Amino acid sequence: MGLEQYKGDMEMCCRCSACKFIPMQKVQGSAFSYACPSIARYNLHAYSAGGRLNIGAAMLKNGMNYTDKLLDIVYNCQLCGACGVSCNYAMDMEVLEPISEFRLQCVADGKTNPALDKAVAGLRQTGAMVPAKGKRGDWAAGLGIKDATKEKVDVLYHVGCLTSYDKDTQKLAKATAKILKKAGVNFGIAGDAETCCGGRAYQMGYKEDFLAQAKKAMAVVKKSGANTLVTGCADGYQAFKVLYDRYNLRGELKVLHISEYIAKLIHDGKLKPRKRVTMTVTYHDPCRLGRLGEPWVHWQGQKVPGDRFVFDPPKEYRRGTKGVYEPPRDVIKAIPGLRLAEMTRIREYAWCCGAGGGVNESNPAFARWTAQERIEEAVATGAEAIVTACPWCEKTFNEAIKESGSGLKVYDIVELVEKAI
Amino acid sequence: MIAKDRLTKIVGAGGVSDDPASLDEYARDMSFVNAVRPVCIVRPKDAEQVKKIVELANETLTPLVPVSSGPPHARGDTVPGTGGAVIVDMSGMKKIINVDRARRVAMVEPGVTFAELIPAVAKEGIRLNMPLLPRQTKTVVGSLLEREPVVMPKYQWDISDPLACVEVIFGSGDEFRTGQAAGPGTVKEQWQVGGVQKAPYGPGIASWHRLIQGSQGTIGIVTWASMRCELLPALEEPYVVASSDLTMLLDLTAWLIRLRMVNECFILNNTNLAAIFAKKWPGDYQRIKDALPTWVLFYNVAGYEYYPEERVGAYVKDITAITQRLGVEAIRAAGDVSAGEILKAVQRPSAEPYWKLRYKGACEDVLFLTINDRIEGQIAVMNELAEMAGYPTSDMGVYIQPIAQGTGLHGEFNLFYDPENAGEANRVKGLAAAATRDLMAAGAFFSRPYGENAGAIVNRDAASLAMLNKLKDIFDPNHVMNPGKACF
Amino acid sequence: MALNKEVYQEFEAVVGEENICADPVIMPAYYGNDFAAVILPGDTAEVQAVVRLCNRHKLQFRPICTGWSGMFPKDIILLDLRRMNRIIEINEKNMYAVVEPYVISSELQAELFKRGLNFCIKGAGTNCSAMLRGHGHMDQTTSGDDRNHLAIEWVTPEGNIVRSGALGSSDEWFCGDGPGPSLRSILTSAVPPGVTPGVFTKAAVKLYHWPGPAAYDIKGISPHYELGEIPPNMMARYYSFPSVEKMWQAEISIGEAEIAFELMGFNISMVAANITTSNEEEEETFNRLNAEVQGPGFFVIIAGNSAADFAYKKKVLEEIVARAGGRSLQAVEDPRIEGILLCQCTRISASIRETFRNGGAFNSIPIMGQRDLTIRWAIGAGKAKEPLIEKGYIVDDGGAFFGWGVEQGHLGKTEIFCKFDPQNAEAKAAVEAWQKQEMERAFKESYFASTMGPQDEIGPALMNYNLWWSKTTRALDPNGVSPEGGSLV
Repeated sequence: MGLEQYKGDMEMCCRCSACKFIPMQKVQGSAFSYACPSIARYNLHAYSAGGRLNIGAAMLKNGMNYTDKLLDIVYNCQLCGACGVSCNYAMDMEVLEPISEFRLQCVADGKTNPALDKAVAGLRQTGAMVPAKGKRGDWAAGLGIKDATKEKVDVLYHVGCLTSYDKDTQKLAKATAKILKKAGVNFGIAGDAETCCGGRAYQMGYKEDFLAQAKKAMAVVKKSGANTLVTGCADGYQAFKVLYDRYNLRGELKVLHISEYIAKLIHDGKLKPRKRVTMTVTYHDPCRLGRLGEPWVHWQGQKVPGDRFVFDPPKEYRRGTKGVYEPPRDVIKAIPGLRLAEMTRIREYAWCCGAGGGVNESNPAFARWTAQERIEEAVATGAEAIVTACPWCEKTFNEAIKESGSGLKVYDIVELVEKAI
Repeated sequence: MIAKDRLTKIVGAGGVSDDPASLDEYARDMSFVNAVRPVCIVRPKDAEQVKKIVELANETLTPLVPVSSGPPHARGDTVPGTGGAVIVDMSGMKKIINVDRARRVAMVEPGVTFAELIPAVAKEGIRLNMPLLPRQTKTVVGSLLEREPVVMPKYQWDISDPLACVEVIFGSGDEFRTGQAAGPGTVKEQWQVGGVQKAPYGPGIASWHRLIQGSQGTIGIVTWASMRCELLPALEEPYVVASSDLTMLLDLTAWLIRLRMVNECFILNNTNLAAIFAKKWPGDYQRIKDALPTWVLFYNVAGYEYYPEERVGAYVKDITAITQRLGVEAIRAAGDVSAGEILKAVQRPSAEPYWKLRYKGACEDVLFLTINDRIEGQIAVMNELAEMAGYPTSDMGVYIQPIAQGTGLHGEFNLFYDPENAGEANRVKGLAAAATRDLMAAGAFFSRPYGENAGAIVNRDAASLAMLNKLKDIFDPNHVMNPGKACF
Repeated sequence: MALNKEVYQEFEAVVGEENICADPVIMPAYYGNDFAAVILPGDTAEVQAVVRLCNRHKLQFRPICTGWSGMFPKDIILLDLRRMNRIIEINEKNMYAVVEPYVISSELQAELFKRGLNFCIKGAGTNCSAMLRGHGHMDQTTSGDDRNHLAIEWVTPEGNIVRSGALGSSDEWFCGDGPGPSLRSILTSAVPPGVTPGVFTKAAVKLYHWPGPAAYDIKGISPHYELGEIPPNMMARYYSFPSVEKMWQAEISIGEAEIAFELMGFNISMVAANITTSNEEEEETFNRLNAEVQGPGFFVIIAGNSAADFAYKKKVLEEIVARAGGRSLQAVEDPRIEGILLCQCTRISASIRETFRNGGAFNSIPIMGQRDLTIRWAIGAGKAKEPLIEKGYIVDDGGAFFGWGVEQGHLGKTEIFCKFDPQNAEAKAAVEAWQKQEMERAFKESYFASTMGPQDEIGPALMNYNLWWSKTTRALDPNGVSPEGGSLV
């Protein structure tokens, strides 16, 4: 069983509660001290990472026991990984992996959430994780972007499901295309042939669907001849860069988030943001660009028998250290007139927007609650706008703002760059 | 009631007295509690005798009133609250059991006075954290058990300090030792392995000594107590700051204590300062008062073994930065009274006659705990009440003592009066009662409920009282211990 | 045992549907305890209502907070105080803060630091409740044990609300004692056995001056945090000494000279654990540092309220250490290491590295009280670890113990633990045997009695305190609804 490989990790949990909070020495007061939306919202210890690991360990021993409460616990988790960062400051053990594996086990045992079933049914039909109205490539009509299924390109711009189909986020695709064109990049899109990366399906627990999508997505990449894939969606980024590598599907493909790519273009002088954009902004690190965007570590080994939880060969834990934090900030700093005011919970211990892990689909109220917490944190910095690098974050923030009536604005990095070039 | 001969069997004939003159002495004190005659006085010599007395009291349901200090008593807690009581006078138990320099601890029997203990600990290079100018007959154990405020708030980490452990005979007749003293092993066995009786908490998770402190003898009879001591400084530089601006002085005091820069530290009004330091009455008294603004803050900067001059110098420099910011100056004398003289005085008990009695012969203290934010309001309340009662506020002493490293203040109004003058006495009695009532309303916490006003005090907190009564029933099931005192 | 439907609904009516769970599926998250329900009260009134229901229906309850391991009777109702997490008040002038149970130490300390204040954080870590009675790294200046509580708001086992001291009489938090005797005699939250029954819903804690920065300037990405710079007038050092006697001489002199902000008697194994980011790195670092130290030692932080104050403290520290033949550990003189130790030993943010990271468990014997006495005992307890180290049951830390000074050396704390893999049954048994043996030795040789031992053995040697305590708990809890049991920290 997949969960079996994490037996030792789950048993290591000592219930210290660090997983509920941001790393201890980063706590700045009673406000914005929590890292885990699930425990912050639902309060029972079972909703924390520690609680999940304790339950996982027990069920591994005694057999799975699927009650409504258990499934409520399982599905009300964005799999944002903040727990693991906090835990792994001190502990050598897997945290998010067993939680994710538990989700996969639920789905494999048929213990699914109807809303997620619906989303995945849609995926199987349309190759998209969102309702697919019209054609996937419609947003690009008249923009003269190279069709990567017909022409070889250096860079394949993977637009992503939400950005392709959602009227409110299509502007991000257009902005991205404009930027890449301005920088003289030889890029293309797959248009209607683009298909979902499968990352969200994996988070939701549908491993087979993920693998199927991954294979399809990589076929599109191969067809394009691109050696580099660029995307503006953090889910997509993490899927291509990390998950595909994990399952040995990525090959030699270089994967960059658009913020990384733009940072490089600016650094290389190929893009010159000259127009002033006068605004105080705060930057939200998307989970799957930041801490979960850290490269996969291929490791196989055995626990060394004895007094410590150590392995041969030594295990390198992914603690969020190598996520993408600076490039988006570099981009913001390169835009004249922009002032960056950081929130309390940033970088590897950023608070989740609320959308991930299937929560956007299965419990939109919880997703909005999570986003609302983030909006409050952003407002507390005095910033006029929250800037992020993932359409799911933007969508969820906008929903929360609409509900609360806050005056805070939401921008994607590419929108600000577009203003400045 | 206990038959006299049964007591004689325990303590010997010389240890029991019931002649009218002796009984009269214990029947009343300087406070306004009703006089109630005890039936006899018994003077035990050791814990074994105390235990037997308590067992006897339980058998016969005889009230016991423990006393350790000599007269004049002033709080009413050593006057029997009911008839048929036996005074258990511990003042003859005068052993200084242990003084330990390395562990900074001393251990004494109940009858040891400050005057007796101070030189004994000084010999070892340590000293006590004392209350302000106790009378010569005041015992150390008595003071510790009353939770009397001490003059070095820096060294009072907890309101129970400097008390460490006690050996007690509970009202049930059971012997108990608190804290580290509980065991394993007897006190001597603990000494043999290098243990001392200093850690106050426990045994178990309870801190039993806190139940005995403040109980006014209603829980049991203490047969020895240990206390933490501090080092004798190698260098001391005392200062005063005199001002009519109490707010500013409180601010300064709070910082001196918060930064742990001073040892002795308290505020007296000019009346009290004059009452303490006047040598010739009434001339000196008036002259000292007239030379001073209302308030005098006293503090002492000290250095110990390592470069005391440098330490004192650094602290004085840092203190000066604060006084400059506040627009005041720390000086070496308050009018005629030098800071050095004050320091010398407060490191000893009061000279005779007891300072509170010098002015008019008697004094009623209104004492409570409060915080910085409230004390000035409470002083205003008291001044108003005094005026209404026809008691001249210029005659009233005020003593403000920061406690427990600055988490609170002990506030004390000293109402001097002529005990021979019935009119004055009544006025003061009425004023003290009104003060208790109105100061409570102004946020004062009367943590030590004495005398007639105790009832009004304890009735403010029915829930705590109910809890304390449950504990009382456990440790003194027959209610033989000092009935009618504290909150019982 | 499931709660019957009507009773469940009565509880649900008090706290709301979301805040009660009787599904046994979550038991593993609650210490694997066989509970009747977990209830999440939101405030004192809800706690009181729940407790009264427990009395009415003769159901047993216990409050829990951030606690690690827990021991409770079967069918207990667990009051998870997670929702009660407000800082009620910080009173700077009068040096106290009032907190609800689920304010964690890190949250309170961060607020206090901004105001130039600090409080006693328990060694278990800053992820633990700020309300706990306990002891920690900074006790030299922030005191410890039950000496930091002021007034407490307490829901009694019968469901009454008692506000101790000034709180009950004058609605003030600054004093928890009186009128008359003090209820702080019995109001102490603690580890079992012997836990005050009922629920503490708020407590005032004593505050101390903080001479350090309003916030540490922490650089880097987890787990490699470092200080941007050593704050002014602060210094951290580790000193080792040629013998325990010399170490003690220096330790007590430092206390008497009142120069240390913190005196943490770390052994070098704990230093290595504290500053490293993985078990492998820890092992390598321990071996390296262990070769450098000359014997037992301690970690010191000095902090001046001014440059002059700092200069004085530094001078005296160095002289005391020199007199005792002490040697400064070079690794800690490196500002990178000095900084992270300084931060982690004031924010108490690396305790988990020191304890759980290695094997997943540690069994400990902690003793509060007289340091020089307990050090002597600890030497023997350390030697007794050697056979377990040889057999590979426990992590090799050189058989060391640790501890710290409390209240400028007036009191102290000594602790010794074994880190091991709790899934290894042999190791677990060996560690438990070591624990039992050493506590018995302490008891027989009159060092101390760990009240974590069996009450009926220990009690008679400690004035039968356990009998007084059980009389007390029976009086407080006539319906027996708040039984023995609790969770650590």
